[in-house]
Amino acid sequence: MVGHSRNWPVIAGLGLISIPLLVMYIYLFVDTVTDSPAGSVLPNRFTLEHWRFLTEGIEGKGNIWKVTLNTAIFASVTTTVVLLVSSMAGYALSRLNVPMRRYFLAGVLMLHAFPSVTLIIAIFLILQMVGLYNTLIGVILVKSTLELPLGIWIMKGFYDTVPWEIEMAGIVDGASRFRVWRSLVLPQVQPGIVALGVFSFLAGWSEYVLPQVLAPSSNVQVLSVYLASLIADDQHFDFNLFKSVGMFYIIPVIILYIFFQNKLMNIYGGGIKG
Amino acid sequence: MEIVVKGFTKHFGDTAVIENMNLTVKDGEMLALLGPSGCGKSTTLFAICGIHKMDAGQVLFGDRDVTHVPAQQRNVGMVFQSYALYPHMTVFQNIAFPLTVRRESKVDIKRKVMEIADLVYIGELLERRPAQLSGGQQQRVSLARALIRRPGVLMLDEPLANLDARLRLEMRSELRRIQQETGIAAILVTHDQVEAMSICDRIAIMDQGKILQIATPAEMYQRPVNSFVAGFLGDPPISFLDGVVRQGILVLQGDADDTIPLPEHISGQPDGKVLRLGVRPEHYQPHFPTKVKGAVVFVEMQGREILFDVKLSNGDLLRSVQAASSQFKLGDTVEWGVDPAQILVFDDHGTRL
Amino acid sequence: MSVSARLGILFLAPALIFVTLFFFAPVVLTGVFSFTNMSTATGITGGAYQVTSNVLRQLADEGFEKSTLDRLGAKSYVVSAQALVVATTEGVVDKAVLVELESKHLGKTYQSRRDFERFLKKLKNRPRSTRDLKKISPYFRASLMGQRFESEEVLFAMLASLDLGLPDPQMRHVARASYTGWVWGTGNFKRMFSLGDNLRVLRNTGIYVVATLLLFNTGFALVLAIATFYLPGRHSAFFRGLWLLPRITPPVLYVLLWKWLAWDTGFINTILANFDIQSRNWMLDTGANAWLFVVLINGFVGASMGMIIFASAIKAIPQTMLHASEVDGANRWQQIRHIILPQIKWPIMFITVYQTLSLLTSFEYIWLSTDGGPGTSTEVWALAAFHAALDNYWGNLQYGYGAALALVLVVIGVVMSLIYLRLFNFDALITRPRIEQ
Repeated sequence: MVGHSRNWPVIAGLGLISIPLLVMYIYLFVDTVTDSPAGSVLPNRFTLEHWRFLTEGIEGKGNIWKVTLNTAIFASVTTTVVLLVSSMAGYALSRLNVPMRRYFLAGVLMLHAFPSVTLIIAIFLILQMVGLYNTLIGVILVKSTLELPLGIWIMKGFYDTVPWEIEMAGIVDGASRFRVWRSLVLPQVQPGIVALGVFSFLAGWSEYVLPQVLAPSSNVQVLSVYLASLIADDQHFDFNLFKSVGMFYIIPVIILYIFFQNKLMNIYGGGIKG
Repeated sequence: MEIVVKGFTKHFGDTAVIENMNLTVKDGEMLALLGPSGCGKSTTLFAICGIHKMDAGQVLFGDRDVTHVPAQQRNVGMVFQSYALYPHMTVFQNIAFPLTVRRESKVDIKRKVMEIADLVYIGELLERRPAQLSGGQQQRVSLARALIRRPGVLMLDEPLANLDARLRLEMRSELRRIQQETGIAAILVTHDQVEAMSICDRIAIMDQGKILQIATPAEMYQRPVNSFVAGFLGDPPISFLDGVVRQGILVLQGDADDTIPLPEHISGQPDGKVLRLGVRPEHYQPHFPTKVKGAVVFVEMQGREILFDVKLSNGDLLRSVQAASSQFKLGDTVEWGVDPAQILVFDDHGTRL
Repeated sequence: MSVSARLGILFLAPALIFVTLFFFAPVVLTGVFSFTNMSTATGITGGAYQVTSNVLRQLADEGFEKSTLDRLGAKSYVVSAQALVVATTEGVVDKAVLVELESKHLGKTYQSRRDFERFLKKLKNRPRSTRDLKKISPYFRASLMGQRFESEEVLFAMLASLDLGLPDPQMRHVARASYTGWVWGTGNFKRMFSLGDNLRVLRNTGIYVVATLLLFNTGFALVLAIATFYLPGRHSAFFRGLWLLPRITPPVLYVLLWKWLAWDTGFINTILANFDIQSRNWMLDTGANAWLFVVLINGFVGASMGMIIFASAIKAIPQTMLHASEVDGANRWQQIRHIILPQIKWPIMFITVYQTLSLLTSFEYIWLSTDGGPGTSTEVWALAAFHAALDNYWGNLQYGYGAALALVLVVIGVVMSLIYLRLFNFDALITRPRIEQ
């Protein structure tokens, strides 16, 4: 459609603005396996010593594997809750004759836009009152809830695309509404479940504010809090170490990103199509 | 099993879609619900199978009143326009689904699926998935799934609309064969009059939520109750001429020169009465007696036959279908005749006299 | 109720429970808490009554007479029934003394230990030794100072036993002043409006939202979407992928990467060292630089959502329309101005509202990078609320005041999400279910 020769100024312009990103991410990787002499940008030798924290730990810090396990539990339980609750609620809003369905839908849409961080003070006090402060379960419940409006919205969108005839056929074939949902409709929205699952997992894996505020104690520490405390701590001021821990932290994210890039694009667009 | 619909009324919001409809499908017959889109035929179908609720009225399956029985327990088989096969299941699982839901034994299921697969000729496709099938094959699978429970009635919702022309002809006769072999009463919803006329025992023609006429195809074609029915049936369609009665002769509108004598069975119409004549293409031919003059404005060669549009001096059109050997050309002035015995006459409300 | 309505309610129930507990309740409670003076000092559950020197100072400021306050603050000795009971059960003091005290001297008050013990020496059944005598005094010590009273009644009883002759309103006043738990009040809002700092925070918030939104979240997002639309597939995929990276990178790590760029020993300084420019922490050395980084850090993340939505909106523009404009001889710029931009008017509007809302209330990246500094030059409203309630240097977390600050955002959030709702073609979303059971 458009001549190829005219693209280079655009590429150059975008490239220029993207330099900080490129530099940051390239050096994120490079610095974890090399040493740079002071005042020099170019690294000089390959080394794995920055990764020693995996086997030796870091003085005064918790066990990295325990922290990783906490993070994995936090992210995967959150994902499970979000998937379960949204795939049910999304179906009800998309297909079932729920009374006041209109208002529920408006509510979901409103919560979708609602800035949940503003609630953190009240949530902090609620968790203190009900005794879930400083527990993994408390953060999981809160994180799941805050992800729900988006999750329900996305699942509703996927259910909307399932042909009604499939459900009608199921009903005429003698299946209950529940059976129709489980055996006939759920398999059709599998792409949605995968996309939402990956999204929720990443959101849980990356979450910092909630665990930091609601569960700061060391035995429920997650990787984000661990890394933040490492950076805040003057004892171990070592960017190569920070980056190695960061790299360790981001590896699952990168893997999921590579496999599910297109699906994620869709959800990071807010799950809103037109 | 005989299916009876009594006093069926259905509203969507404030608008009445169906008002007090009555319909009987006899045991073993295939009945077409024919009408333009939006006339309420699918709504009727959905009400009979229980997907839609009725605001008023009753549905009887034989002696059993199923008005308040949920769709799951009505034992109807349904074939959808889109076939609605379950994409994640194999053909076998699709056909077996109604039996799986009822927890029949694996052995029984297997035997029944094989039986029905043989009936609809898809025995070798059982391990495939719907996406790997052609439209016609999907249609057969869908039919097999609808029939496997030996339903009391078979619902066919525009089953041929998504097929290409050749396949449509083939499946049309297949539908009829299978329906007759199983002897299950069937309701075919369609907007295609050819489809309805060619395979159904009777046709119920609908417009704007009402059944206008229920009759056999032949009777409906020859004696339509009104101009709508007459216009809906027949391909190429019937032509209408509007006019006013003057001394037993119909004077066509717009131009006093063109007149047509009224057929004998319609005699005695008062002067000044507005009437509409319906002339089917096969009844406007060179050799018929009541001559009407006009110019050939359109010629369509259809292979075996030729279709002519003849424009009268008042601007009205008459169509004629003649053998392919006919020698008339575009622009010819012709004076062909109408068969007076076959003229359909409607009053100004469209009702046939 | 129909089958599907029952199933529907069942299916919605878990979501409703979650949302009620952690969405609606916090919204309501933010409102409730903002009318309290909850803080670390008051605790979040109930409190007790405790007269401290602080309380006395406060009462003095509020016009209590000095003599009353002296007596409130003094240590006194009272022959009270309670004290007698305690002394009797412990059995250290000779029973006869106690019986005498109870029968003849109940209610007597002495201002000092010396006076009290002088009185004891005159008793008929007084102890032989001075040591035994001195053991009696502690039982009858009756000072308000430092004592915790679990309820108002207990405090009042104590005040009455001191025989201060305080009228009822003044007793209540003392109770109010000495209460250690939280109380209702509109003090937070008075404070919010009177504090000059908040004006600055408000201005910061405006700068932050407008700059980030215009430059990145819609501005650069548009540039990215349009540029990648015209670029060949491989290039556009590269840039879109690259710009989505900040969004998927965990915030802690993402901000760390920026710190690595900006800190004293970071990348920028290493480069600039070649030009003999003094190394410094670019993120925090001046307010202007801090702002630059705050906007960049947030903007690089925020651009991706707009990019994705605009890109898909541009893709949805009928190709024929673009072809037609090319046939008409429009150049790229004209095509963008007259076809693409008008066609994606609604998505732009949409992103603007959505992003305004999320920027207005987000503080995570600022918290991690500048934490509002240097000084308070990059402190925005949401961060101020967070600092007040959950994270401040002087330790006393002011939940109530923080909640009041947050309430402002909650109200804005509600209003703007209503606007957001209006932007949706809502009725198109609610088609009626086609299975009626």
